Amino acid sequence: MHELGVASEILDVALSEADRHAAKKVTSIRLRVGVLRAIEPGNLSFLFEHLARGTPAEGALLEIVEEPVRVECGTCGVSEVSSIAWECPRCKGAGVSVTGGDSLSILSLDVDT
Amino acid sequence: MGPGGNVRIDVERSIQRSADESAAEIRAFLLERKIYALNLISSPGSGKTTLIEALLARFDGKGGVAVVEGDVETEIDAERIRKHGVQVRQITTRSSCHIQPSRLLSVLREMDLSETRLLLVENVGNLVCPAEVPLGEDARVVLLSVTEGDEKPLKYPLVFKTSGLLVITKTDLLPYVTFDVERVRRAARAANPAVEIFEVSATTGEGMSALLDRIEALRAVKNG
Repeated sequence: MHELGVASEILDVALSEADRHAAKKVTSIRLRVGVLRAIEPGNLSFLFEHLARGTPAEGALLEIVEEPVRVECGTCGVSEVSSIAWECPRCKGAGVSVTGGDSLSILSLDVDT
Repeated sequence: MGPGGNVRIDVERSIQRSADESAAEIRAFLLERKIYALNLISSPGSGKTTLIEALLARFDGKGGVAVVEGDVETEIDAERIRKHGVQVRQITTRSSCHIQPSRLLSVLREMDLSETRLLLVENVGNLVCPAEVPLGEDARVVLLSVTEGDEKPLKYPLVFKTSGLLVITKTDLLPYVTFDVERVRRAARAANPAVEIFEVSATTGEGMSALLDRIEALRAVKNG
């Protein structure tokens, strides 16, 4: 249920941005979510829909752009993967460093003015 | 872009901004008082409260340990710690699966921390939500007991990526469970090359002094 706090923060940002741009309605919200964040999109949308009821963001669609994890292997270079792995997806070597995949941000809103 | 149309507004903003702001306030609060803070994260029953008790025994007489306990319900952990005669507060988070930084900040402001040198925050027992919320701590400690399984760094990557210390607990049970310590070490290092890994058993005491020494050294640096 950690999506509840996230949904609530998305709504706050969306409403304040919509207000700042004198928008009547928010129609969609684009998010960048890293795969390490363990956000379940269905759960997030369900909670957002509930929280947004009666606000200008009611019915807004959440579009999630998934941010992959970058696995850097000394032998094979960089691979991007959508589920976490602590080994190189190509050579299965363990000598890797894992970066990225922890974003949680709002990219843009589509609004009706 | 005329009136009455559909317009795209670029926002590009972290969703956790308000939480991050509170965490920054906690960091400043602790820095001003030279208090070293650890955020303890693990599954329920991995040994967070036991580690806190070991730290209290170590620092007994040297003063200066304060504890904040986070649980969804009950004061059981706070009562267990209170018996050691240290300052402890319980945060009951109710529906929330982690300690919110704003809540921690208000609790810290109510406490008398004039003698405190080490703050131990025991987060709510799970490996998901507490990982996402910085509490202004100096270091995050993730505990993993050998009975939980060695695949946990794969299942809960964020907490292993963001923790400076990994404590593998209940190592006295290794003969009875299938748990590949090396697999965990490899995964933890891939997630965070700087991670410091400790293997401990609170039952036999094995490995505890190395861990406590390290925490004491980290604390001493901040206390100045």
